[in-house]
Amino acid sequence: MTNRHKLNYLASFLLFASLGFSRQVLAHGANIVYQQTPAIEVKATYDDGKPMSNAQVVIYAPDNPAIPWLKGKTNEEGKFSFIPQSNISGNWDIKIRQSGHGDIISIPWQTENVASTVESRDNMPNSSNWLASANNNYNPIQKVVMAATGVWGFIGTALFFSRQKSS
Amino acid sequence: MNRLLISIWTIAIVPSSLVGCTVRENTETQATNAKTGTLALVANGEDFIRQGFVSKDGWQINFDHAYVSLDRVNAYSSDPPFNPSGETQLKPTQTVSLVDKITTVDLAEGEEDAEPILVTQTDAPVGTYNALSWKLVPAQEGSTQGNSIVLKGTASKDGREINFTIGFDRELEYTCGEYVGENRKGIVLAANMAQVETTFHFDHIFGDNSLPAEDALNQEAIGFEPFASLAQNGQLKVNQSDLAKKLNSEEYAKLQQAITGLGHVGEGHCRSSSNIER
Repeated sequence: MTNRHKLNYLASFLLFASLGFSRQVLAHGANIVYQQTPAIEVKATYDDGKPMSNAQVVIYAPDNPAIPWLKGKTNEEGKFSFIPQSNISGNWDIKIRQSGHGDIISIPWQTENVASTVESRDNMPNSSNWLASANNNYNPIQKVVMAATGVWGFIGTALFFSRQKSS
Repeated sequence: MNRLLISIWTIAIVPSSLVGCTVRENTETQATNAKTGTLALVANGEDFIRQGFVSKDGWQINFDHAYVSLDRVNAYSSDPPFNPSGETQLKPTQTVSLVDKITTVDLAEGEEDAEPILVTQTDAPVGTYNALSWKLVPAQEGSTQGNSIVLKGTASKDGREINFTIGFDRELEYTCGEYVGENRKGIVLAANMAQVETTFHFDHIFGDNSLPAEDALNQEAIGFEPFASLAQNGQLKVNQSDLAKKLNSEEYAKLQQAITGLGHVGEGHCRSSSNIER
């Protein structure tokens, strides 16, 4: 077990494709639609640089670190790619093992950051739509407007119930 | 006018009080989530110790006892997760002390298929304990006094049999990342038990005949032959001072390196440091 390995990950967010959709309605047609999606690619090697080919891969999502989220195997180059669930931010843990050798790596994944990273790298105006934003912060103006709307709602409702009945 | 005020009170205040209830319920939920579970420490010599194995130079080695003396064992929740191969330091957000006095464990205890040895267990806050540190220290009392590791057993090859007792007095400190194995360990849930594990890879010292001679493990292991050459009348009882004198410098350097690399967390690696270099 001295033949130690290294698990490297490429924080490259693979771009699997693109945007617009166009469909024609044909009786026996086949349609392929596609969507750009960021992914994580990891590469596992032994200390001597040899790839951990066909090694066991287990992925744990941040919201449930005890239960595997995905299982698979590396390819001949020791690589494995996956697409994290878009609305789960946090550390995605990837464990790769083979013949008594193994390692685990944590990859921080922020949905907002990913969207902005991809946008800056690829200048994709719609990239922020790829992932659901986990950010629910509102700016001060929005908060004031929301508060005023709520207060006006109370007053309006009260006025409604307190109106004089016409006989 | 009064009717207007009552209406405003009813519509505005009552929902507010309901919100207050919700906040209180959330607080209670958080308190529930903050419950503790149990964290157990186990020590594992793997099948090499429990079942015996053939060294890289063909000696069948079986262990009657494999004592290790542990001290200052702490489990950590580290954020970011600790990488023993990197340069960054452990950054614990939660620390649980598991052993705070020298504790000697026999890794060979039990049958060939025995579970890893339970060292201790304690209450621990719910969380993921993804790092572990411990010390190997010389025992202060008992049959292993003065040694941090003592191996007792029998080695045989080509009709020759040697009863051995080998003691090492190295003091080592290991800082490790998360356990790596078939199952995930160290995740404490409320009212549940989780484990962390100190794992010892003794094939690093003796090599493994099931692997090719050119495998890195066998290249770096000393094997059993250097020990066998010190035996007399089928008996070998040596400590580290004896080995420092009787092994050649290359063999002894290999042995020192192998001892340093003993500590693991399953298949996961540890950063090690030694207070005693000979």
